Amino acid sequence: MTPHGRGLKVLVADGDRTVLELVQIRLDVAGYHALVARSGPAVLETLKTVRPAAMILDMDLPEAGAFEVLETLTRRGDKLPCPTLVVGRKLGIEDVKRAIGLGARDCMAKPFSGAQVLERVARMLKPTCAAPPAVRRPLFVDDPRLPRATA
Amino acid sequence: MSLAAKADLGLEASVASTLDVLAWEMELASARCMLLDATIGEMMKAIPEERREDFVESMHTVDLLCQQLTSLSAFTRNLSGAVSEEVSAPVEGALGEITLGALADRMATALGGACKGVDERDSAGEFDLF
Repeated sequence: MTPHGRGLKVLVADGDRTVLELVQIRLDVAGYHALVARSGPAVLETLKTVRPAAMILDMDLPEAGAFEVLETLTRRGDKLPCPTLVVGRKLGIEDVKRAIGLGARDCMAKPFSGAQVLERVARMLKPTCAAPPAVRRPLFVDDPRLPRATA
Repeated sequence: MSLAAKADLGLEASVASTLDVLAWEMELASARCMLLDATIGEMMKAIPEERREDFVESMHTVDLLCQQLTSLSAFTRNLSGAVSEEVSAPVEGALGEITLGALADRMATALGGACKGVDERDSAGEFDLF
């Protein structure tokens, strides 16, 4: 197995101990540095001192769920500090719309496998600004880009 | 079943939820195996090259165990989605048979029981290395 996380910090927040440890181990083994939080306020507290490369937030986090956390972080019109994946057991279309509206990059329904969560994190961390496509200018008569005719 | 008889059975949970909880636990076990696999991989670097072959089979077994648990987890997760939420089963007795306190506590909490806050490290005991 080749670690591909390059030590990037990923904050994982879930009230379920099994899910939290599972995701933490999978991220660590993949070469990421997983930081964990068990409640909404713990996420906000962690973000005061750490700037993760990505976040995974559970919709049903104790004390303040993912939406409340996202609302708090974007209250002043600020952007989210990093790409965010919202996960949830009963994730409906309205929840997905709300999460995306609050700046989340992606959503995933529970239950998921360790492999699926790694795939989503890797996708979120892929550079989104691809190089602009080369401008194709039309050719014209005597265009220097045209091959020269040989006698 | 009478209400009194139901009360005697203690904690009840839907079969779908129980399978879901089992799937998560198997996925966690698989992740722990992966961690073990990675740790053994690191330790192998410290072993002289001529002796590494002696351990290759054991490493392969750990890898196989990871895959087995991942597959069983996927199977259980799929099964959980296929079972009606209305079918329930008494789980209290079965939970009582689990001797690892932290696992029993996690599963009981996930199935709607009370959380006792058992820590994995507290119940794991000391390492008996020597």
